[in-house]
Order: sequence, then structure tokens, then C-alpha cells
Amino acid sequence: MVGSKDKEAVIEMEKVGIRYGRGPEVLSNINLSLERGSFHFLTGKSGAGKTSLLSMMYLSQKPSRGRVSVFGNNVNFTNRNALAMFRRRIGVVFQDFRLLEHVSAFENVALPLRVCGMSEKEIKKRVNELLKWVEIDRSTSAITSTLSSGEKQRVAIARAVINRPDVLLADEPTGNVDNDIAPKLMKLFVELNKLGTTVVIATHNENLIRDFKYPCIHLKNHGLHIIEAGERGDDVEI
Amino acid sequence: MMWKFNSLRHRELPLSKDSSNLFLKIMISISVFLFAVTLAGVLSINSMLINWNSSILGSLTVQIIPSSNPDKQKAKDETILQEERAVNMLKAMPEALKVTSLNDEQLQKLLRPWLGDDVEIEDLPMPRLIDVRLKPGAEINFKVLAEKLANIAPLASLDNHKLWLNKLINFAAGLKMLALSVLLLVICVTSGAIFYTTQTSLGLHRDVIEILHLMGAKDTYIAQQYAARTAVLGLIGGVIGVVLAIPAIFLIAHLAGQIEGGIINEARLSFKAWAMILSLPLFSALVATQTAYYTVKRTLERMM
Repeated sequence: MVGSKDKEAVIEMEKVGIRYGRGPEVLSNINLSLERGSFHFLTGKSGAGKTSLLSMMYLSQKPSRGRVSVFGNNVNFTNRNALAMFRRRIGVVFQDFRLLEHVSAFENVALPLRVCGMSEKEIKKRVNELLKWVEIDRSTSAITSTLSSGEKQRVAIARAVINRPDVLLADEPTGNVDNDIAPKLMKLFVELNKLGTTVVIATHNENLIRDFKYPCIHLKNHGLHIIEAGERGDDVEI
Repeated sequence: MMWKFNSLRHRELPLSKDSSNLFLKIMISISVFLFAVTLAGVLSINSMLINWNSSILGSLTVQIIPSSNPDKQKAKDETILQEERAVNMLKAMPEALKVTSLNDEQLQKLLRPWLGDDVEIEDLPMPRLIDVRLKPGAEINFKVLAEKLANIAPLASLDNHKLWLNKLINFAAGLKMLALSVLLLVICVTSGAIFYTTQTSLGLHRDVIEILHLMGAKDTYIAQQYAARTAVLGLIGGVIGVVLAIPAIFLIAHLAGQIEGGIINEARLSFKAWAMILSLPLFSALVATQTAYYTVKRTLERMM
């Protein structure tokens, strides 16, 4: 278990297993509790189940067995509208960006705010401010499909954080950005974390894990192991 | 259905590029055309039925059969005498609003379609006709009236038009039911087409819908985008359908007006009927919107 019992858990998993179709379980007997305001890296070899674990956290998938609770609610017994409201509190940066390719960068970043029913004036102000910060301000009206991978990744990050989420889940968020902008984005995640956002970053980037002393959720042999900051030995493959 | 006006502006789903849009527009245009023409028929039949019903309830005809006296003058005098007696009796009735005895000129006009212009009516043993208009809501015992007439004018016979008009009314009522069934069928077929094209579109845009869900969009947010798109298609299709239907309705009315006898002439469309026909684009937009909205809601409920 991650974290102590006296702090509020935003995401909890108990004896969770997930399988696809009739195949073997990708993850088995996962027990996890993410406290409000915690920061974790998620590591493991390709195919270890990082994306599956994240997809349960951002409520894209339900577990095959076990219990997943988000903000204190068991997702198996939560109705669709309530799930939508929880998703609004979770920012996600997908490895493949999952941007709306046919609309502009501005429209993509504005999406979580529109969904919440925010006024267009406020949306314009907040989106332009953030796009400037992630250095997309020159191509805000450009159709997303015309942007480079690095630009798309920054748009995806901006979309994930625009709503000041309670939980931020990022799958390889610095994989496609230049070396000079990666630390800047990490700084953004750290600042959000300081403001109380729970952060989970899935990464293969050893430098990132070394430079930022946060605990790792390590997936291996369909199970989960917690490695506290500074405890990681060289035998751990990420 | 909860509507947020600004949701009409949101276009995260690229629905305007769907290939099914043209199909839906044509489909709705044809449906509205059929609907408008059929509705015009239903409303015309309705007005005819109302007229015919008021004819049954509001009038009767008394016929004085010509006397069979071989002396022509005596026969004529006898017939006219009985006509006068019948008219006096009918005028004395409290239910009678207006009693009119048809003169030779009016009788000739009635017979012209069959006998032509050159016939001298005086040379023929023509029955005399008395048209009686009744007061609104008046109820008459036709059997008693026929007996009274027989006593004072044995040559009189009473016709309340009921027999032949009832057959016409039954026929028209059957036609009306058939037309209403056609209207229902048109609505079902159109809704079915919208249902299947919407489902196809949901499949095509599954990736975008998934992203919208992950950003916290409720099903209503997505359903409103579909509803807004389909409302526009329904409105455009509806306007095209009505524009095509108006000349068709006038053509049918013109052809019906050429039928002799005046029965179909009574099938004129009222202002209210035209208002109903002209509001069909709004109706088609409403049906399209509701169908798309609930199709999306129902289909999305199967997703997580």
C-alpha cells in the first residue's frame, strides 16, 4: 500500500485483476492507495501493464475483479454521470496524445473547460495563458494534425492540466519533447503537486527518476511493488 | 431534454463531414413531401366530412312527384297545389330555418348536365323540389314528418340525403384512416433511417467520443451535438420537402376541382391547414432531433 491511512486516498485498488477477453490477467492482485497530494513514477518493462493500470485510474476501464475506488467511490457501483464528474477531476496525458486532430490546439485545450460548461470568455483567457506557457502560442489556431509530435505533446499536457485536476496521470509525458522543455514540463507537474494535485507519471526515463526524488510504483510479473525514493537498486528494469 | 444553447456551437465531433448527411437530407425531403401531400389529403377529407355531416344534419329535400292526371294543365295545377301545401307546412315547422321552393330556372340548371340547354322544362313531367334548411342542432323525426306530408300532399316524398351521403362519409372516413396510417408509416421510416445513420456515425466517431468521455463529457453533451446536426438536416430537408409539395397539392386540388358534381370542391384547405403544412419543416426537425438524441443516449449507455 502506498501512503498511510491517516491521509485521504484519492485512488484505491484492492485485489484488482484485469484481463482482456479470455486471456491471462495482465495485472493480478493489485493493492494500491494513492494519497491526495502524492507524487509517483510508474515504471515497468513494456507490456508490464502500466497503461492498463493507468486506464483503470482514469476510468476508461473497469477491473475484471477486485475493487477500484476513485475519490472514495467504488467505480463498479457508480452511475455514468457521476463517473463523468470524476473524470473532470482527473487530467490525463496519453502516450499517443489522443488529441482531436481535426480541430485547433486551442479547441483541444479548451475541451475540458467546455465540457464543464465554463464561459467562453474565461476559457479564452485560461487557454491562451497556458498555451503561451507551453510555447504553443504561435500555432494556437493551427489544426492539430499539422503540429509536430513535440507540439502535440505539449498541447496534450496543457489539456490535462487546464482544469487544475485533483489527479494528474501522464504516460511518457516527456517522450517527444526537446531536452530543454522536458524539465520545464516536469516543473509544471511538481508545481501542480505542491498545490495538492496527486501525480502519477509513467516513464522509462531514468534521468527523470534520478533527478526527481519521488517513489516508484514498479510493475513486474503482473504484480506491483513500491520502491521508495532513493531505494531503487540497479537491478530494477524500467 | 435539457438544452444548452451554447452547446450548438460546439463541434468537437466532425459530424458535418459525415457521408450520411446527404442521404438523410434527401430522405427527410422525400418523407416531408409525402407527409405534406398526405396531410393535405387528410385535412381535405376532414373538411369534406364536416361539410357532408352538416348537410345530413342541416338540410332535407322534399320532392313533389308530378300528378299522373292525363290533362296536362290539371296535372300541373295539382302538383303546384300540393307544393304550396307542403311549403306552408314546412315553413310552420319550428325547426325550419329556410324553406325554398326551386323555380323552373333552378331546376333547369340542375338538369343541364344531363339534358343540355335546349330542353323546355314545361314539356316534361318534372318533379318540384323544396329545399329545407334546418336550424343548427335541430332534431327532426323524419318518419312523423313523412306521415304529415303524406296527409296534406300525397305526391310528396321526403329525402334527408342520409342514405347516399352515409356511404360517401364511410368511404371518406376509410380514406382518412388509410392516409393517417401512411403519415405514421412515414414518421416510422424517417425515424428508422435517422436511428441507423446515427448509430453508424457513432461507430465512425468512436475515437472522438472516447476522448470526450475521458475529458468528462456526459452523454448529453455528445447527444446534443448529434441533435443539433440532425435538427439542421431535418429543417433543410423539411423546407425542400414542403417547397416541392406545395405545387403538387395545388395540382391535385386543380384536378379534383375539374370533377363534376361539386363534391370534391368542398375539399378546400383552410388557413389552419396551410399553417400546419408550412410548419412541417419544424416538425421534421423536431422528430429528427429527438430520434438522434435518444439514439445517442441509448447507444452510449452501453459504453463505460
